[in-house]
Formats: sequence, structure tokens, C-alpha cells
Amino acid sequence: MHIIGYTLLCLGIFVSAFSLIANVIGYKKKDKRWLKSARGGILSLLLIAGSAGFLLFCLLGTGQFQFKYVASYTNESLPLVYKLTAFWAGNEGSLLLWVILLCITAGMVIFSNHIQNQLIPYVSCVLLLNILFFFIVIFFTSNPFEVTDTIPIDGLGLNPMLQHPGMIFHPLAIFLGYVCLTVPFSFAVASLAANRADGEWIQLTRRWILASWLFLTIGNLLGGWWAYQELGWGGYWAWDPVENSSFLPWLTMTALLHSVMIQERKGMLRLWNMSLIIISYLLTLFGTFLVRSGILTSVHAFSDSGIGNYFLAFLFLMTVLSLYLLITRYEIIKKEANPIESYFSKESSFLLNNLILVASAFAVFWGTLYPLLSEVFTGTRVNVGPPYFNKVMAPIMLALIVLMAACPLIAWKKAHVKKFLRNFTWPLAAGLLSSCILFAAGLRGILAIIGLSCTVTMFASHVQEFVNGIRARRKVKKENVLLSSWKLLMKNRRRYGGYIVHIGVAFLALGVISSHAYSQEVLKTVQTGDNFSIGDYQLTFKGLTEVIENDKGIVAADVEIAYKGKYLGMVQPEKVFYETWPEPTSEVAIKEHRFQDIYVVLSSWESLNKATFQVKLNPFVSWIWSGGIIMMIGTLFSLIGGTRINNRVYKFSSSKAGEF
Amino acid sequence: MSKNKRIIVSLILAGIALSIMLFASLPNVGGQEVKISDLVDNPEKFKDEYVVTQGLLAADKIQWDPDEIELRFEIYDENNVYLPVFYKGVKPDNFSKDVIVIVDGYMNESGVLEAERIQTKCPSKYEGEDMENYNPKKHQEILKQNQD
Repeated sequence: MHIIGYTLLCLGIFVSAFSLIANVIGYKKKDKRWLKSARGGILSLLLIAGSAGFLLFCLLGTGQFQFKYVASYTNESLPLVYKLTAFWAGNEGSLLLWVILLCITAGMVIFSNHIQNQLIPYVSCVLLLNILFFFIVIFFTSNPFEVTDTIPIDGLGLNPMLQHPGMIFHPLAIFLGYVCLTVPFSFAVASLAANRADGEWIQLTRRWILASWLFLTIGNLLGGWWAYQELGWGGYWAWDPVENSSFLPWLTMTALLHSVMIQERKGMLRLWNMSLIIISYLLTLFGTFLVRSGILTSVHAFSDSGIGNYFLAFLFLMTVLSLYLLITRYEIIKKEANPIESYFSKESSFLLNNLILVASAFAVFWGTLYPLLSEVFTGTRVNVGPPYFNKVMAPIMLALIVLMAACPLIAWKKAHVKKFLRNFTWPLAAGLLSSCILFAAGLRGILAIIGLSCTVTMFASHVQEFVNGIRARRKVKKENVLLSSWKLLMKNRRRYGGYIVHIGVAFLALGVISSHAYSQEVLKTVQTGDNFSIGDYQLTFKGLTEVIENDKGIVAADVEIAYKGKYLGMVQPEKVFYETWPEPTSEVAIKEHRFQDIYVVLSSWESLNKATFQVKLNPFVSWIWSGGIIMMIGTLFSLIGGTRINNRVYKFSSSKAGEF
Repeated sequence: MSKNKRIIVSLILAGIALSIMLFASLPNVGGQEVKISDLVDNPEKFKDEYVVTQGLLAADKIQWDPDEIELRFEIYDENNVYLPVFYKGVKPDNFSKDVIVIVDGYMNESGVLEAERIQTKCPSKYEGEDMENYNPKKHQEILKQNQD
């Protein structure tokens, strides 16, 4: 079996190298046969990667412990779903997953209906270069088909912390995000290589850009959700280098999503958009390098298998390539664009939005790399940690929310201040009212209240947009409210899908701000029957129980929760001892009541009658997750169906395209 | 100068102003990463400074006071230099013999590191690495690598 695996990986290297060369020759000689054979190569790569993936799935599913990978991540008693998803539990498998996804996307791009497009040979070169790189890395540093010298009777099992639904989908979503991002990057590089500076690459890859953003959003949120449920420290985001490395491309992609609209309408920001997609792509490589090389102090420890060097080298190669193309094509890109007509217009506000997003990406990047930079320049390594990020990101994100509140009300081309102020009255009133209510309700902390009211304003201005749209529609057509809102939504999916995403962001922001500013924590050691309180809640410790289930030993604490004397229910925080794992892991108990999470962790115990608890009250955390779901729905709206681009814009840029 | 250029230039200026603010705020929120031996040798030098250090946990030195929720323990490096740590809080997960502990906090007069935050790190935590790794020797190697 391992010979098949090795052969597949070898074939992967050879076929991708061959197709790459065939592509180049075919393009140079203008020979269709070479190009055709390169396309065949991509199809066979799909088959090769698919077979390798299928093989690994089979090995994992049937527990072939003679394979190192299978033995290190699974064991007999592991449920089948975790046996299979252990595919991406480690370095080797996750890289294989990456290359499989790359091959699938390459196939989708090459065999889509743009097959005649003159960019395609370049695009497939870039994609093949990526595929070749991953096959080489897998074959030389992290081969999932490596066999052990002696066949173990049982595997070591999957880390209990990874046995969680969040961890099934989180890596998958992140990799999908990265891979989808490779497509617009390839198109951008391809159009540079083809000496073209028009926006065709954006039109062709709009859906890929959106899909990549969607997957990155899902991936980041799932990561946070998993950390919240599984790690037991009561938070969802710790600004760890590993988290930052998937957050960075998300920030730059968010900027790109907005700035491409300016290019579509105005033909400006061509260089900027190119740079944004290139930077986003490089950040995915950089993040992977950061995560897998272990150069930063992080609680996430990764074994250094030399894989970091490969990624660094590839990162260097791709940076040089992109920079070379950008510099040599600068004159073509830098053509005078249509001027912005007014400082106060949607165009300017989009520029500001880009500035804020890129600045925040830079702040995160800077904070992540600061330990390394400070060591290089001053000799001492300074770790910045969450205080830096919170301090720096809070005002930046606040500015972003304020901008989001105003932006939908600002017209394209030239907005009128008077009209804007008139439209802004209601949202502003809603924001002011909410700050009064919050203050009257006894909340303190001026920054948090400002943040919350700005978010309410943002929410209100989007709701107002919907209401106005529906009203205008109903004036003309006699439809009921539901039908009218549905039709409005369907008619302009890009716009209203975007608004739905913004509303999701509002929910998410409310959750983040309130859980940051108003969470409470109590650490307490209690005897059976004792109670203690946090906020308005009383918790009573009813005793510890021990259960043995399958291969797990579970110590559970019965804790009764009451709100102002009224019984709410019982929770059972646990410590689980796995047979295959030396240390117990905490299973958090979360009880939701009035938008607050009562987050109970059984920390340790002295005897069956005395235990220590860590209890947190986290307000509105569930809104973060529901905000995420709303964002997902909004993105799907703009993604599925919908016109590819509005015609006016298409004509505009295709006429431009003709000039080159 | 066209309007586009003026808008872009002013945005760039705003960006520069923002980044200057960023850099200015950095030193106040950072913690120096220091080796255990430096902390033990010169406790005065790091007095009242926020430091980050990491070492292996000496399991026999753990004193846990459940009633006061106070944790005292020692971490050591590859040269067997021990650093006492005091933490007002609970034991983190994976708090066992020879696991790598990352401690953030301040040195006090008596040479004890008063921790604001403690985190444990083990090679098998997120990567499902093989269990043989869960031994002191491997951890010592990793610690050494980290400090080089």
C-alpha cells in the first residue's frame, strides 16, 4: 500500500512539472497540442491527488497502524468520523488535503467555460507551480504514507481536544479559503504576465474572491467557537500567532472585496487591487510558514520537520515573481483613471474603508512579528500579546463600524451633505437612545458604551436602507411586504447580500464588545452543598461523580444554577481522562440565560467533596456565532445566482481591455 | 494635482499617522522575553518590568492552595536553574511534570516571579504528535531550540 502512496506522490511531482513545462512550451510556440496535453496533465493530477486522498481515507478508516500517520492520529476506539477527519489532524494529511483542493480548483478553472480565454495558460502555470510545490513538500518532508518499523497493536489516538465538531470543519474551511484565494491570485498574476491591466481578472474571479472570503470567515469563526467550547479559558480569541495568521488574509480580502467595486466603477485602484490580492496570497503562505516553523513563542507547538524552510523559500519565490511583474508592468497599470468627482462620495468612503482594513492588517502583522523584529534590532525579544492587540485594534475597529454606519447612506459619485444628514437622523437617534438606555441600565465603561451605540447606529442605518428600499418598491408595485422585500433582495443580490453581511457584523461586534467589557470571573473552592455567586447567579456544588465510559474516565461535578433565587437548571462541568492521553482535559459546561453564558469549568478537586471551579459570566457571546451565521447567509446571497456583473460596468472595462 | 491623487495622498498621510501611533504605543504593552537564568541572576535588573519566560515544570515543587486559590511552583531550564513562580489562580490544563510553562508577570523583591498569566505548552497539544514525545528529554530539546 505504501508503495502505491509513494508512487502517487512521485507521479504528482512529475505530472505537475510536465504540465507546467508543456504549458510554457505550448504558449511560446502557440502550439495547441502542447496546451492540450497540459490540460490533460491537470486532469490526471486531479485523479492522482484524488486517489492519494482516497487511499489515506481508506487507511485511516480501516486502522492500518503500520502507517505512521494513521498510528499517530487514530486508534481502534476512535469514532469513525474522527478516524476519517484525522486526515487533516496533522501536518502530512493537511498538506495532502491542501493539494487535493488545489487540484480540484485547478480542474474547475481550466475546464470552466473560460477555456478559450487567453489568460488560461498563464493561470494554469501559476496553479501548477503551487501544486508542484505542495507535492514536493509532501514527498520530501511530510509523507503521510510513511510506514513504521514495527507495526503497533493500536494507534496513539487523536488528541481529545481535537475531537470536536469545530475541529472537523475549521481546518477544512481555512484550507478552502486559502485555495479559493489562489485562483484570483493566479488570474491577477496571469493578467500582469499577459501585459494586461484591465479588470477582467476581477470579473472572472469575483465568485472565487467571495468564496474565499466566505470560507476564511467560517474558518476563523469556527476556530473561535472551538476554542470557546473546548479550551476552557472562557475566551474565543487570544491573538496567538496561529490565529493571526488566518486573520490576516481575511482582513486584506475584506479590503479587496470593497476596493474591486471601485475598480469596476471607476477603473481606478488597479495597482492597489493587484497588490491586495498578491499580499493576501503571500499572507496565506507566510501564515503557514509561521505556524509550521515554530519560530514564534506560541502555546501552539508544532514539530519542526523542515517544512518551514520550504514555505519560506516558496514565499520568497512568489514574492519576487509578483514584485517583478508589478514593477515591469507598472507603466501599463498606471493609466489615468476616471477621477473621483467629490471628496464626499461612496468612492471616498470605500477608500477610507480600505485604509482602515489594511492598517488593521498591518497592526496585526506588526504585533505578530514584533517579537522577532525586536530581537533582531534590539537583542531582546519583546512579546506583545493580547493587551497590544486589544488596545490597537479597538479604535481601528470602532472607526470601521462608524464608517459602516455612514457608508450605505452616502451616494456614489457625489453625495450631498444635507441629504446624508437627513438620512442619518434615525440611525443616529437610535444610537444615542441606546447609549442613554445602556447608561440608565447601570452599565459603565465609556468606551464600551460608545462602541455599542456605534454598532446600534450601524445596524439601524442598514435596517433603514432595507425599509426605504421596500417602501419605494411598494409605492410602484402593489406587493405585500414579504414579497416585496424578497424581490428587492433578489433583484440586487450583491448590494443587499453585502448589507446582510454588515448586519451580521453588527451582531458579532455587539457580542465581542459586551463579552470583552462586561464579563465577570470567579474562582472558588467549595465543599459539597456550599454555594457561591457571580453576578445575579448562585451556583451550588452538589458533589462529584465518577463514571467510566468506553475508554474514558469522567469526573463530573453537579452544579446547580439559580438566578435571583429561581432555579435554572443543573450543569455538569467535567474532567475527562482518556486512556490514550496522559492528561485529563476539561469539558466546559455552558448554560445560556438571557443572552449571558454561564461558563463553568471544573478546575481541580481535593476530594469527592471539595472542588475548585472557575466560573465566568460572558454576556452576548452567542451573538458572535449568530452574527457569523448571518454573515454567511449574506455572502451566499451575493455568491449564488446573481448577475455576474452589471452590464454597464462590464462594457466599460471590456472596451478598456480592447486598448491593450 | 488631480483630485484622485489628493485623496490618495491624504489617505496615505492618515495611514502614516496611524502607524506612528501604533509604534508609539508598543513598548508599554509588551513583555520582554527573558531566560530563566537571567531572571535568577539579576532579579534587580528586571524589577517592575513585565517579563515573559518559559521553562520546564518541576512537578515536586507544585504547591496548590485550593482555599486561597494560590499556586506556587518552580520552573527550570536545561542547566537546572530554578525559578520560583507565584500565581493567583487555578492550574491550567496539562499542568504536569516537565511540561513547558510560559509565564508572564513581574519579578518581586524576593526573586519570585509573580505571574499574571501562565500557559502550558506541549508538542502534543494541537498536533497529535506521538506520545513518546511526552517525555522530559524531548521537552528539554524543544526548550533549547526555542531559546537558541
